[in-house]
Amino acid sequence: MNLAGWSASAVATLFAAGAGVITLLYLLKMRRREIEVPFAALWDRVTRVSDARRIWRRLRRLLSWVIQLLILSAIALALGDPRPDVWLREPRTLAIVVDRSASMGGPRAQAEGVAADVDASRLDAALERARAEIAALGPSDRALIIAAGPEVATLAPLGRDPSALLRGLDDLAPTPGEADLGRALALARNAVDGQAGPQILLLTDGAVDDAGAKAVRACVDGPTPCAVATFAGSPANLAITAFAARRYPSDREKVEVLAEVVNLGDAPAAVLLEVQADGLGIGRRELTLAPGESKREILSELDAARSRLVARLVAPEGAAAGHLGPSADDVAYAVVPPLRPLEVALATDGTDLFLEAALLILGDHVNLRGVPIAEATADNPAIAGADLVFYDPGANPLPTPLPRKDAVFFDPWRFDGSPAPIAKVKEVGRPFLTEQLKDHPILAHVTLKDVNVSRGTILDAAPGDELLIRSLGEPLAVLRQSSEGTTLAFGFDPRQSDLPLRTAFPVLVANIVDYFERATPGFVAAIPVGARRPIALAELGLPALGVTAVEVRAGEDDAPTIAPVQDGIVRLRATTPGILRLRAVDGQSAGAEIALAVNQASAAASDLHDRLGDLPQAAAAPADAPSPAPLSQGPLWTLLVLVAAGIVALEWASYHRRWTV
Amino acid sequence: MGVFARLFGTAAPTPAAAAEGELFDEAFLARLELLQVVARRVFRGRTRAERKSRKVGSGLEFADHREYSPGDDIRNLDWNVLMRLGHTLIRLYEEDEDLPIRIAVDVSASMQSRGGRKLRYAQQVAAALAYVGLANLDRVGLTCMSGKVHATLPAVRGKGRIFRVFDFLRQAERGGPTDLRAACKRVAAESAQPGLTVIISDFYDLDGAFDGLNLLRFRKHEPIAIQVLDPLEVRPAMTGLRGDVRLVDCEGGEAADVTITPATLKAYAEAHERFCEALAQNCRSRGIPYFRAELDVPFDELVLRMFRLGGLLR
Repeated sequence: MNLAGWSASAVATLFAAGAGVITLLYLLKMRRREIEVPFAALWDRVTRVSDARRIWRRLRRLLSWVIQLLILSAIALALGDPRPDVWLREPRTLAIVVDRSASMGGPRAQAEGVAADVDASRLDAALERARAEIAALGPSDRALIIAAGPEVATLAPLGRDPSALLRGLDDLAPTPGEADLGRALALARNAVDGQAGPQILLLTDGAVDDAGAKAVRACVDGPTPCAVATFAGSPANLAITAFAARRYPSDREKVEVLAEVVNLGDAPAAVLLEVQADGLGIGRRELTLAPGESKREILSELDAARSRLVARLVAPEGAAAGHLGPSADDVAYAVVPPLRPLEVALATDGTDLFLEAALLILGDHVNLRGVPIAEATADNPAIAGADLVFYDPGANPLPTPLPRKDAVFFDPWRFDGSPAPIAKVKEVGRPFLTEQLKDHPILAHVTLKDVNVSRGTILDAAPGDELLIRSLGEPLAVLRQSSEGTTLAFGFDPRQSDLPLRTAFPVLVANIVDYFERATPGFVAAIPVGARRPIALAELGLPALGVTAVEVRAGEDDAPTIAPVQDGIVRLRATTPGILRLRAVDGQSAGAEIALAVNQASAAASDLHDRLGDLPQAAAAPADAPSPAPLSQGPLWTLLVLVAAGIVALEWASYHRRWTV
Repeated sequence: MGVFARLFGTAAPTPAAAAEGELFDEAFLARLELLQVVARRVFRGRTRAERKSRKVGSGLEFADHREYSPGDDIRNLDWNVLMRLGHTLIRLYEEDEDLPIRIAVDVSASMQSRGGRKLRYAQQVAAALAYVGLANLDRVGLTCMSGKVHATLPAVRGKGRIFRVFDFLRQAERGGPTDLRAACKRVAAESAQPGLTVIISDFYDLDGAFDGLNLLRFRKHEPIAIQVLDPLEVRPAMTGLRGDVRLVDCEGGEAADVTITPATLKAYAEAHERFCEALAQNCRSRGIPYFRAELDVPFDELVLRMFRLGGLLR
C-alpha cells in the first residue's frame, strides 16, 4: 500500500493532533451538567442503577471515543490517498476468448479430494476462471470477452467496467458444433494490438478440430502474448454422427432409418439407440461399441406415417448416463424426404411385351421410357437421365458405349464383341437353373428351379460378385457392385425361356426395380450445424421457380427470419440441432412449406480429447485463478470518506438512542 | 442549552425568576375583594364570626343531658324531664367559641425552586385565606416554616390587619430543608388553643410529609393540607431534559450522577404521582381535607374550590 496524497508522517501528525483534541473534548464532556431539583430523594429512588450498568455506561463512553477516533483515522487516511501495490503496475488490455463449442458441455475434471459434481461442465469452469480474471483487473486495466462457437461473438466490448464484463458472461451456454477459434483469436488479436499491455487468454477444453489447433498454435507463436487455460475432463462420449430416413417406394407407410453411432471415449460403452416419430418410439436397438468404433445401423420397416424423426442415445436400463457425454450429440433429427419416382429406361427392340408389361404395372413410383436398342448409348438423353436402364437387346447387339450407371442386362453375349461389363465364359445349350441365392432381395418370392431355357451364357464372375443364379455351379446371373454403378446380368434371354409365362417373372422384375431403388442414395434432408451453407430448394422438394425469399422458422413459437433465394439456392446457417421449416414467400410455390433437419453430426465436434497437450509450457496459463484486486474502482480515498461519513451517521443515529454517548 | 454549556457542564439556569414583581399589588387586592364577596355568597345563611367548639357550655343550641350535681345552675334543669320522669337532668348546650385559624406556609428551599413560583403561589393562597378569614371576623395567625426557619405571626382579627399579614409573608425568612414533622410539632406546641390549621407546602418530604399532619390531628387541631405543585416538576418530560446530568437537591445533600432518558422521566412522573396519591389517600383516610394545587390553576380559583368543597369554613 502506498500513499499518493499526504505523506505518512503528515497523516500521523494529523491523526495525533486530532486524537488529542477529541480526547480532550471527551474529558471535558465528562463534566456533567448540574441540574437543581426540588425532590432529589424521589429522583434517587427512580434512577438507582446497578454497578454493572455503571460499568456499561463507562464502556459506552469509551465506545463513543473509539468511534470518533475511527472517523478521524478514516479522514486522515483519505487525505493520504492510499493505493494498493497492484494499481501501480503497468495497465494491461486482456482479451478473454471463451470456447463455447459443444465439447465444452462435457464434464470437467475434478480436483483430488473434491466431490464430483455431475452438473458442472467445462464451460462452467471456464466461466469461473473468466470471472476471476475480471475480478483481478486493476482500475487502469481493460478487457473484452469473445465467445468462440461456430459463430464468433463479442460478449462485452473493450472496457474497464467489471459489471458490464460480467454481464457478458451471463447465460453463456455451449453451442452445437465446433468453435471457430481462428476467427475468434484473430478478432482478439486485432482488438488488443496497439493497446497497453496486450494479452490474449483462451479458455478452452482443448477438444478442438485441426483448424482450431492450428489457430491456437499460431496465436501462441504470434507477437501478442497468448495464454491458454484448458479445462479438460473425461473424454467419454457417444455421439450420433449420421441420421437419415427414407420411405419405401413400395410401402409408403414404412421408413428405413440409417443411424451412425460413434464411441469417442477410451472405454467400451453400451448404449440404446431409440428412434421416435412425433414422440412415439418406432424403433430401438442396443449397441455395444469398442473405443473409437463407429457403427452404422439400419433400422428397416419402421412404421412411421409422419415425416419427422428423432433419434436419441440413452443409457441402457440400470446404467449411468455419464459415458454419453454432452447431450447435444445424443440427439439427431431427420426429415423423411419426399419420394421421387425412379427414372427407368428400357432399351429394347420392342419385341418383349412381357418385360414392358412387368415394368408398366409398377405404378407411379416408376417413370418408364422406351429407347430403341440401337440408340441406347450413353449419350442418349433418356439413358443419361435414367436412374436404371434395362438392356433387353433380343436379337440385336448391345450399343456402344454403354452408360456407367445402374443397369440390367438380359443375354448380353448373344454376339461376340459385346461391350457388356461382365465377361462371358462360354455358351451353353439348355442350361438348367439348378441353384439360386434364395435370401437375396432380387429373388425374394421367386423360384426358378424348373424354368426351361433354350440357350444361355455362363458369365465370368469376379471376386465380390453375387451369383444370383447358377447352372450346375456356373454363374448364370451375376450382380456386380462397382464405383460406376451396379450391374445385374442375366446370361439368358427371357424370350428364349418360359420364364415370362410364369408368375415369377413380374415379381422378379419388381424385385429388381425395388432393389435398385433402395440402393439409390436418396436425398437426406439434413444439414450440419455450423457455418452458412448453400441449399438447393429443389433438392428439398420445393420448386424454386420464381421464389426470391423463404421464411425460416426453428420452432412453432419462434419468430421467422427471411432468407433470400438466388437461382433456387438459399444460404442457411443453423446453430442448434432441430427441425427448420422453410416456407416460400413468393413465386410458384408461394406458401408451400418444407422441413429441414439440423444435426451436429460431427465426430470432431463431439470428440472430447484434449488436442492442445503439446503446446509449449510457456503458453499455458497459470492453473490457479488470479487473486481478486483489492479494489477495482478508485480512488480509495473516496471510499474512506464514505466510511467516515457512515460512522458519523451511525454515531448520530445511536446518539439519540443513548447507545454510544 | 447552548453548546458551551453542554460541553462544559454548567448548571442549568433556573426559569425566569425575575418575573416575580410585587407579590401583593393592587390587582391582587382587587381579586381578594372579589373573592371575599363570592365567599360571602357561598356561606350566606350561616352563622358568621362564630366557630362552634366541641365543648359543651353556655351556647344556645341543645347538645345533651347530664345528671344534676350540686352547684349546677338550676336554670339549666330540664323541668319537663323532671316532671315526667322524676329525674333531675341538666340541659347542656354547645358552647360558642372563637376558634383561631392558623395558616402555615412552607418556605423551604424546595418551594423556591424554578424561581420560587411555588412559594409565591403559596403566599398568595395564604394571603387569600387570611383575608377571607379576617373578613369573617376570625382570628387568623400565620407561620412560615421550614427545617431552618420558623416565624410566627400571632393571631389577629379584623379585616384591617390584612396588611400585617402581607408584611409578614413578604418579610419572612426563607430557605432550609423541608421538615414538616418538626414544623408541625412546633406549630402545635405554639398554639395555646387548637384550631383550624392550614398547611401549604409541596410536601416534598418522603418521611415526614404526612406525619406532621397526623401530629396536628392528635393535638386536636383540624389540619387542612394544600399541596402546591409545579407542573414541570410533576411531569419533567415537558422540560426536555436529557442526557448525563448531575442532580443536585436544592435543599442540600449528596449529588447524584444519572442519565436522563425518556424512560427515566416517565418513571419519575409515575413515582411522583404515586407519592402524591399516597399523601392524598392518607389524608382522606383520616378525615383531613386535601387539596392539590398546580401552579397553572389561579390561586383564587383554588380558594373558591376549597370553599365549595367545604372543610375550611363551617
